[in-house]
Amino acid sequence: MALVPLSYNLRSLLVRRSATLLTVLGIGATVAVVSGVLALQQGFERLFAESGREDLLVVLRKGATDEGGSVITRAQADTLVKSSTEIAVDPNGRPEASLESYLAVRRPKLDGGETNVPIRGVQQATFRIRGERLKIVEGRRFEMGADEVMVGRKLIGRIQDCGLGQVIVFNTTPFRVVGVFDYDGPFSSEIWGDVDRFAEALERKVYNRAILKLAPGVTVEQFSRHLEDDLQLPSDVLTERDFLMGQTRALSNMLLFLGGVLGLIMGIAAIFTATNTMLAALAARTHEIGILLSIGFRPITIFCSFLFEAILLCLLGGLVGCLITLPLHGIETGTINYQTFTEVAFAFQVTPRVLLVAISFSTLLGLLGGAWPAWRAARLAPTVALRRH
Amino acid sequence: MIKVPLRLVVKNLLRHPVRSILTVLSLAVAVFLLCLLRSLVVSLDAGVREARSDRLIVQSAVSLFVYIPQSYDTKIRQVEGVEDVCSWTWFGGYYQEQSNFFAQFAVDSDRLLSMYPEMVLVEGSEADFLADRRGCLIGDQLASAYGFKLGDSIPIIGSLFPRTDGGTWDFQVKGIYTSTSSNVDRKTLFFHYKYLQESRDTGAASGPSNVAVFVVRLMDGARPEEVMARIDALFENGPQRVQTTTEAAFQAQFVSMVGNIPLFVSSLGGGVFLAILLAVINTMLMAAREQVQDSGIMKALGFTNLSVFLVLLLQSLLLALAGGGLGILAALGVADSIAEMIGSQFPGFAVTGETVLLAATLSIVIGLVAGLTPGLRLGRLNVAQSMRAEV
Repeated sequence: MALVPLSYNLRSLLVRRSATLLTVLGIGATVAVVSGVLALQQGFERLFAESGREDLLVVLRKGATDEGGSVITRAQADTLVKSSTEIAVDPNGRPEASLESYLAVRRPKLDGGETNVPIRGVQQATFRIRGERLKIVEGRRFEMGADEVMVGRKLIGRIQDCGLGQVIVFNTTPFRVVGVFDYDGPFSSEIWGDVDRFAEALERKVYNRAILKLAPGVTVEQFSRHLEDDLQLPSDVLTERDFLMGQTRALSNMLLFLGGVLGLIMGIAAIFTATNTMLAALAARTHEIGILLSIGFRPITIFCSFLFEAILLCLLGGLVGCLITLPLHGIETGTINYQTFTEVAFAFQVTPRVLLVAISFSTLLGLLGGAWPAWRAARLAPTVALRRH
Repeated sequence: MIKVPLRLVVKNLLRHPVRSILTVLSLAVAVFLLCLLRSLVVSLDAGVREARSDRLIVQSAVSLFVYIPQSYDTKIRQVEGVEDVCSWTWFGGYYQEQSNFFAQFAVDSDRLLSMYPEMVLVEGSEADFLADRRGCLIGDQLASAYGFKLGDSIPIIGSLFPRTDGGTWDFQVKGIYTSTSSNVDRKTLFFHYKYLQESRDTGAASGPSNVAVFVVRLMDGARPEEVMARIDALFENGPQRVQTTTEAAFQAQFVSMVGNIPLFVSSLGGGVFLAILLAVINTMLMAAREQVQDSGIMKALGFTNLSVFLVLLLQSLLLALAGGGLGILAALGVADSIAEMIGSQFPGFAVTGETVLLAATLSIVIGLVAGLTPGLRLGRLNVAQSMRAEV
């Protein structure tokens, strides 16, 4: 079966320059809107899910949906760490477990308004467990027992009093900022200090969670049963990765939903546009189609040729859309995570998946928008098509 | 007098019914989307705009999640200029599954309705609510979302306040309220703070003691700034410092947390607008190309260049108005169900008159811009050129 040469489609698109350009740009804007939302969702998901470790467990009070809602008393925490042989120990015999406190505190933003910034009280063991991935970018770590804090890199330039040497007051106690740290994940939007000093300053003498590593061979189920049956401490035990994924589900789903709705609604408009453009192309080229048919091209070939042209048109649009979205990559923004009511900073991520969705989306637009005009083109009778009007 | 053959305008639109319909529909879809996106952005600070100036909020100066002692109630009540005080405590539970999210608050139930005149009971009575220890009031949107009725028992799993026996908190629906202002969420469950306190005291439940915030109503003529300063000064040295704000400022902190999202949503709207503008221009260019000969004939018959221009411009405007009108109608039609769907994240979601006006203006702008260039081109061609033109 002889195919209509592809160069015919390319030239046809070139001949109708203004219509092609307008359609491509319009579809480009549609694709850009959808992939922009997706890039935001990817940035959010990547920040949380991909920074979570599989080998690290998070222990929360049973039924708690987040750290703020989980309360572990000092007595319970003592039992948890000291009476669990299931917890791994480091070469010096210290358990690989750390108790942390968590609170979203009210902080003024540099550009006006207030937001909730998470502060995390940690024990010395947290540094051992976090290891090399916790980087001090500026200054030094806070000293245990001192009224000092270190702030996450992403707070710099967004939240007041977060510069090195500045003082942050929690309730009535001033804390000095002695360092800036980075950790790929939501921690870099947090303020860290000594768990005991925070408990004192905030009059909250409880922990919110424990992080720990299990001894070789111990499963999460065994440990979970041990907590519930032996220690009377019903808890939710999950890997850090699962924990972080749970924290983002609401916002992530909301963005996916928004992207889906926008894609669906604007997709319909874009399909109509593509159909209109192809119908006009059909009207202008009826004569040519007559010639193609009369020199032996089969209707199915004409159909494919027209469909191909529609897809090409939309793919060009998709390409333009990707080009519009690409500069967004890496731009940082902050928004509220409804699950914790705290602000998290994250960057747009134009991942291969975003580009893939953009390209498939525009191909689909071309297919749906081109189908009917192509079908009409294929059904033309050569004699009718050849007749000049 | 400029003569514009209106019949020709209509005939031209009907010459390619498929194209006209597709253009109108894609315009409708885009305008529909614009209305909803803008409503989303506007709804974010609806609570700030509709906040009342005679109410103040007392919260911990440290964090929204730090509770303040219940005993502050009597001290605040004695402050000059304070008429009444009502505590609100975030309960943070869920119904059956975590994804069934709606707000629950433990409140000083006997003062709630007098404090919030914008809350109106549509079913049940305040007396019934107050008489039942486990009674609750629910918003009408909450009632319709889950099919709750007066007299129903709503089992809530307390994640912040778990019951010691591992069971649910069972609240009895004693009243359903609606709200005349987007300042009060219609998807909330209110119950007696006394019940929460009692359950905690008897060990039937655990969770943080104390209350989340106090809402203060000012006496007539009291100056808010002075009362705010007086309350803050009371607890300057602890044990928990407080920060008293106006209701508007309290609402504003939630808006501020949302960050750059409104800007982002607005740029999405810009993208939608651009896409549809280009599409309509495209349609009008096609129409103009086909109507070159017609315009030549019109000019030969003595119509002016302006008339020829207006024929095309009117087509464009009619398309835009039809599409825009359809889009606005559709947005108004689904506004209520969307408000119900996303009411807990975006209380006060509504397609306002301002949004409708904006959408109508944008549609007209699209119609004018899209008709302008092709219309001018037709207007300028001389008779001979246009009669000769090949279609």
